[in-house]
Amino acid sequence: MFQPFTEEPIRLIDEKGNWIGDFELDLSEDALLTLYRNMVAGRLLDERYIVLLRTGKTSFVAPAAGHEAAQVGMAAAIRPGFDWVFPYYRDKTLLLSLGYPAEQLFAQMAGTVLDPNKGRQMPEHPGHKDLNVFTVASPIASHVVPAVGAALSMKFQGTGQVVLTTFGDGATSEGDWHAGLNFAGVQGAPIVFAAENNRYAISVDFSKQSASARIADKAHAYGMPGYVVDGMDVLASYYVMREAVSRAREGLGPALVELLVYRYGPHSSADDDSVYRPKEEVEAWKKKDPITRFERFLEKRKLWTPEFGEQVRDEERKKLEAAEEKALSAQAVPPEWMFDDVYAERPWHLEEQKRILLEEL
Amino acid sequence: MATMTIVQAVKRALDEEMARDERVVVLGEDVGKRGGVFLATEGLYQKYGPDRVIDTPLSEAAIIGAAVGMAVHGLRPVAEIQFADYVFPGFDQLVSQAAKIRYRSGGQFQAPMVVRMPSGGGVKGGHHHSQSPETHFAHTAGLKVVVPSTPYDALGLLKTAIRDDDPVVFMEPKRLYRSIKEEVPDEEYTLPFGEAAIRRAGSDLTMITYGGPTVESLKAAEELEKVGVQAEVIDLRTLVPWDKETVLNSVAKTGRALVIAEAPRMASFASEVAATIAEELLDQLLAPPIRVTGFDTPYPYIPDRLYMPTVTRILNAAKKALEY
Repeated sequence: MFQPFTEEPIRLIDEKGNWIGDFELDLSEDALLTLYRNMVAGRLLDERYIVLLRTGKTSFVAPAAGHEAAQVGMAAAIRPGFDWVFPYYRDKTLLLSLGYPAEQLFAQMAGTVLDPNKGRQMPEHPGHKDLNVFTVASPIASHVVPAVGAALSMKFQGTGQVVLTTFGDGATSEGDWHAGLNFAGVQGAPIVFAAENNRYAISVDFSKQSASARIADKAHAYGMPGYVVDGMDVLASYYVMREAVSRAREGLGPALVELLVYRYGPHSSADDDSVYRPKEEVEAWKKKDPITRFERFLEKRKLWTPEFGEQVRDEERKKLEAAEEKALSAQAVPPEWMFDDVYAERPWHLEEQKRILLEEL
Repeated sequence: MATMTIVQAVKRALDEEMARDERVVVLGEDVGKRGGVFLATEGLYQKYGPDRVIDTPLSEAAIIGAAVGMAVHGLRPVAEIQFADYVFPGFDQLVSQAAKIRYRSGGQFQAPMVVRMPSGGGVKGGHHHSQSPETHFAHTAGLKVVVPSTPYDALGLLKTAIRDDDPVVFMEPKRLYRSIKEEVPDEEYTLPFGEAAIRRAGSDLTMITYGGPTVESLKAAEELEKVGVQAEVIDLRTLVPWDKETVLNSVAKTGRALVIAEAPRMASFASEVAATIAEELLDQLLAPPIRVTGFDTPYPYIPDRLYMPTVTRILNAAKKALEY
């Protein structure tokens, strides 16, 4: 049982890789290595997206390096394809860890027909019905209330499912965020709110975002526990999320989990972070890298060597390269798809407008 | 045949659909124990319980946003916004989530939901209890917009809205809630979207209207008959989709069109209809299409009735069209 509202973030691995939890680690070696592999794959995916951008294959990237431990930990805490996830736009490692096929993620980035969302949205906005991953929307925190609605549906129908919804620190200033937490608290909805607090909403640092010491503190107001976690510690992220998810599943209501992370890159490919944060700060955080820290942990348990790390990276890189090749060689989304899925059936005014487009093609 | 008002028709539609399909839930402020401030959900809480008739916190974003999530997860929520004027805190949920989830997910997810709201003036409520904001919704791809003007239509169209797989904004002209009584069949029925009703046949002039001003349009048509002018009155009933065919057929016959609506004129649905008539029927028109609408002012408390298209204003416009 973790204590909510702690002053210091909950941490289970120290920076030297030592286990400092006050309970017995109950994960198998395979499970530990899966966490590691998922973090490595997420980091590599992030790097490939930036290559896609530089080679003109995509138009936008939201770098997520530094968020891997938080995202891999939360993915491991839910049941993929059974529970529902309402993510935000910086969750590629979360989605990959849930089993979102990499070629479909790449297809979303490039707008090819392999994207189950049919290329309707800008890059970094995936979604997948088979995995119960609600398609990402850009307006910040606008997915938080629908996430609560889905959780209420689960509660009223007694399905045993849980909702996980994620967002950045900036989202906690939006009215919809508060509306969502309030409604979830009132109804005891089975949902976990996960804040990936990387300290910057584009350029605005957390001190300008909120006068609360912690995002987790805001949970007090909504009658739910708030946990603050070292989000660069994959085991702390996993175990706290696991507890929050099982509370929700047991009918004990929602929780807010604040995962302290740091994004190494700019907010997006359209951002220049050098104007609002010093390079030294970024470098200092990179020294706390979640993957390196977990490697030290695994090494102490004789589960990791530099050669093994290289092998994992090679294997994951090859998988991603194959997925990327498949996604990018697929056909681009045809323009006449523009008029599908506006409504269940196309009304006359869209038929008329489709004809106008077809005349032009 | 039972005689009922619009608000009773709404209640009956909700009750029938909740009895028919257990996925149908109702949520909103005061919809539970109180039965809604207009009593449109009266008795449903007692009949179906708190998990299907949900009293929500006072937050339109929470009401509409939660309805989106319930809908994508498989329920058929019917959200009530207490007055259409209060939809705006939930507007982003309608525009960014409800209207777009089918499209942005490539058809993977859908949001079959209804957002009911009493709209329009005539109840001495000032601008925050009287507006007709349908243009915002009609302007948003992915939403359907329904505005009934009779008990029979309110019942049949609300049932269709609840069964529809797309998000439907269902606007109930509140000044007609209890002022019109009509016989409604006892057996179940639904009415299709996109089919206007010809409320009165005529050969000299077409009035195209919907919602509250249907009443004033019919009164104006009676006045015109006294001076030998036969006006056809078309009640659109649904704005998205709207029944262009019935409108154009009528105007092709009469050569004159008044488009009558309570919402302000600027960039309005009335303007869309008038522009379509001009674009498609120019050579058959005897006069330009004329809009008779609410003014481009906030809705005033005093003079409440003069904001809306009055019979006099409709007759003035008819005179202009007839003498053109």
